[in-house]
Amino acid sequence: MSEPPSCISEEALHGYVDQQLDPERRAAVEQYLQCHPAEAVRVADYRAHREGLRAAFAPFADAPLPPSLNLARLVEARLRPRRMAWRMAAAVLLGVGIGTSGSWWLASRDASGAALDTLVDEAAVSYATFVPNAERPVQFSAADPQQLAKWVGSRLNRKLIPPDLSAAGYELLGGRVVATGHGAAALFIYKDGRGVPLAVFARPTDAADTATIAEVDVGATDGCAWIEHGIGYTVTGAESYARLLELSKHIRAQARAQG
Amino acid sequence: MPDVLPRIEACIPALRRYAMALLRGRQDADDMVHDTLVRALDRLHTRRDDGDVRAWLFAIMHNLFISRLRRHRLGASYAAAREPEDVAVAADQEGRLRWRDLLNALDSLAPEQRQVILLVAVEDLTYAEVAHVLNIPIGTVMSRLARGRERLRALAAVPEPARPGLRRVK
Repeated sequence: MSEPPSCISEEALHGYVDQQLDPERRAAVEQYLQCHPAEAVRVADYRAHREGLRAAFAPFADAPLPPSLNLARLVEARLRPRRMAWRMAAAVLLGVGIGTSGSWWLASRDASGAALDTLVDEAAVSYATFVPNAERPVQFSAADPQQLAKWVGSRLNRKLIPPDLSAAGYELLGGRVVATGHGAAALFIYKDGRGVPLAVFARPTDAADTATIAEVDVGATDGCAWIEHGIGYTVTGAESYARLLELSKHIRAQARAQG
Repeated sequence: MPDVLPRIEACIPALRRYAMALLRGRQDADDMVHDTLVRALDRLHTRRDDGDVRAWLFAIMHNLFISRLRRHRLGASYAAAREPEDVAVAADQEGRLRWRDLLNALDSLAPEQRQVILLVAVEDLTYAEVAHVLNIPIGTVMSRLARGRERLRALAAVPEPARPGLRRVK
């Protein structure tokens, strides 16, 4: 054991109070304080004040945050007032700052999350109304795909070609335009060799792209949903989620290829 | 790059506590935190990846606080101008009474000393981080901390249970 230090720097005393010393220096300060009662009292006072301030201000860190300090809302508010093109540009710019995972956080947290929920609800209603047990599920049969695409394009104000899922074993029966709370939407209906139906619901949306395809419940069936290039998609049918995801990726790849 | 938005979000309660300790008005404090977050989002793309998010946010808030002091010419007269009910800090009455002397003493410190004490004692920043946040040399951090603590000690008695057998007579 070394001799108690006869002198300790002011800096070390504060470091001791604030628990910023390594064990060796802490021990030296403790030894010093044992031999210098007046200094020990001073340090005890500093400590007591430190604990008092912590206790007094602690409630403010525990209080629920007001909406004005909700970070997801602040991020969304920066994107909202801009028009579509600007909005996407802003999302890209913000993406540079926050990185890919940050973009995902943003997309999943608020803007696109809410838009996707709405989209899936609409898809569920359309699916339930037109797909199972319906005598005439389609307005336009696949016999005239050009007329179908033209009709859908004119109603949605967007070029939207029915995805071709024949390679995956699904034949296009046809499609229809359905009304939603956010304008017209297209519902394309397919059947596989066993007659199992599959539906692709799509409509334009202002919401930002989702970074991933989300697993969703579409009414009673499983589904996949995503937003890309201003179109929201929902794919649903009596299939496993893995199969629906595979089909969704197929559809997304086709849409990308068509630009 | 690690997810910066969740890390910013995790700092909001501490920013709010610090703003409240500096300003004492809930609305003022929340406004300053709001402005800090907006400015942080503005500057995300210029932020260096290696910096600590917490120190970065406190530094932004410090700059806002300084321009606020200049704008309102608050300085030393700030405490006197504050509405009385804002001085009552803690949410619970008991805590408020218990720490009343200490909080009044804190209010009487120069803003520079108050900031150092709060960042060190309440926010657990290291001395080096405080120097970075306030953009001052670490020696200045230490001298402000020492002078601030001595002043608190001269003004505020330590409650009995915290210092058995000793009582300061004011």
